[in-house]
Amino acid sequence: MKTRSLLAVLLLISVSGVCRADITLALNKSFVKKYKDRATLTTNFQVDHHPTKPHDIGRSGDDGDIHMAGRDSVLKLPLVAEIINARFAPTAMQELMETVSDQAISMTGAWRIWFEHPGHKDQIQGQTVKKPTTSNPDHVCEIHPITKFSGVDLLTSFVEIKNQAVPPKIYEAYTADVAFPFYEQLEATIEASNTAIMIVSGGSKYNYTEFYIELAGNPKEVTDGYLVLANVFQSDNDEDQVTAAPRRMVFVKGTEPANKLLSLTQGDRLHVLGIPRVNLAEVYVLAQEHGANEVTVNLPYEMIIVAVLP
Amino acid sequence: MFGSTVVDVAIGLVFVYLLLAIICTSANELLSGVTKSRATLLTEGIRQLLGNQPTSSAKNSPEALFEEFYRHSLITSMMRGHRHPAYLPARTFSTVLIDILSKNRTGRVTVEDLEEGLNSLPDGDVKQSVSAIARNAERELDDIQLGIEGWFEDAMDRVTGWYKRKTQVWTIIVASLITLLANADTVHIARRLWQDPVLRSAVVEEAKTRAQKPRPSVTVEYPDPDDPTNPQVTSNEGNTVSAQEQALLGQMLGWQGPFDNSKRAWMERILGWALTILAICLGAPFWFDLLNKFVNIRSAGKSPAEKPKTPQKRKLATADKSP
Repeated sequence: MKTRSLLAVLLLISVSGVCRADITLALNKSFVKKYKDRATLTTNFQVDHHPTKPHDIGRSGDDGDIHMAGRDSVLKLPLVAEIINARFAPTAMQELMETVSDQAISMTGAWRIWFEHPGHKDQIQGQTVKKPTTSNPDHVCEIHPITKFSGVDLLTSFVEIKNQAVPPKIYEAYTADVAFPFYEQLEATIEASNTAIMIVSGGSKYNYTEFYIELAGNPKEVTDGYLVLANVFQSDNDEDQVTAAPRRMVFVKGTEPANKLLSLTQGDRLHVLGIPRVNLAEVYVLAQEHGANEVTVNLPYEMIIVAVLP
Repeated sequence: MFGSTVVDVAIGLVFVYLLLAIICTSANELLSGVTKSRATLLTEGIRQLLGNQPTSSAKNSPEALFEEFYRHSLITSMMRGHRHPAYLPARTFSTVLIDILSKNRTGRVTVEDLEEGLNSLPDGDVKQSVSAIARNAERELDDIQLGIEGWFEDAMDRVTGWYKRKTQVWTIIVASLITLLANADTVHIARRLWQDPVLRSAVVEEAKTRAQKPRPSVTVEYPDPDDPTNPQVTSNEGNTVSAQEQALLGQMLGWQGPFDNSKRAWMERILGWALTILAICLGAPFWFDLLNKFVNIRSAGKSPAEKPKTPQKRKLATADKSP
């Protein structure tokens, strides 16, 4: 064989390598252990930036949320918090508009780690977080959706996203057959030290997804919500699920989806709207199993159920 | 024609690298389990912290405090028989050390108890280090404990570094052993694939089958569908080499056949081994992804009957809902 041919083969292999624009998120192991099986987190949040009105209702980023960027006392990472269906939360909106910079506000909501806006710098929990200069800075951590903002209860915001028009305009979420195959192929490298867990990943997307769940087990009550394993389908009468295995669904206690879940048993189906987040329970077990020996896996994820759909 | 042969040879090489990387990973895991290297390195890290400190009851033994540490009930409860733990929380380390230094005092330990214990110790590294931490902690026991935890965590970061380096070194050693034992010479394999269309075709077919399998990785599953808080790690079927794959490897690797002892042949052989070792060290997931790309390129360029792969769907019967 000619040397030129061999070189062609080797060149073909070497130029086909994949370059991932990933960042490292370093989390305190005790934080992961504490929150891995919880739906929400309560923190003191300094609101540094926010727009004056919620997003429009449409598709993709026009999701009716209002964003706020700031720094907090628990996650201690660049952080964005979001109220869903903000048009229907006038008291919380007024509280938000009246906040002044550096004022710490008590906030509870679903914690959410998702590598959607990671930027280019590694994020290390506990390092001093710079004051953000926009309402959507580089971040992988969110409180989304917020369930309590400065004493204002927002549990009723966990409903279908729409505006106040008559008839209302309904948010057009991503469909299961688009979003889930994407979630399923995301990758992460997980590595642990004695005190920290490092997750290397990036390039996540598809925030709001509409899908059907079929309970694979019975719901398990945790401190602030319910967890359940469920198969995921594109439509109610589909038999082929869109995930390789059942995925964990997270319901926040006191919300309409959680109340609805309590009436279901194994095998029942429910049409829902959900947002993905990293499944810290799976990250933790991988970190425990492999320790400092890094392991590359499909990014462990779970879905926060934010609405029951008709 | 030339182009398609290049792609097929590339698929063959990537396929071989993938199988060798899977074998290397399995061997590494076996080795890691046998040597208990993480626990050994943790013990070594703690020995560096506590190893040069005699105690008042064993003034001539520099490892007296280290040995007392591993005899403490909080540590023995984490041991399996005589096997040291592989992980140790910083809080446990500081609690045990303070307890030993304050002479296992019953009831709440005070800064004075700790200082008294430190003063009674013969000179050594721990006495010096903990005294320095205590001086900076403004006489608050909680601050001293946090300081000791920070001291331990710094040492553990070094242990993590050692472990990582050790793992990388072992990967190279195992990859080299596999390469040499199997005579996995990239140049030779590429030449065989280039010259033998029958072998090339068989390898490409097997590579296509491999590309349909799950990515070599670990997965997390929930053994009890009613308990979503108890996931467990399992290895997937992508981590095993099938009998057909082993048979194909046997046709491309090995020491059989006429052996060219010329200088040029040896130069080629060494280059081929080096390329294979390098390739194995890149890991099975990397080669699996690349194999899929090449198989897709080949499918797109060749047969219209071969459709692009759709996302993998698994149909579960009602009775088979457990993950």
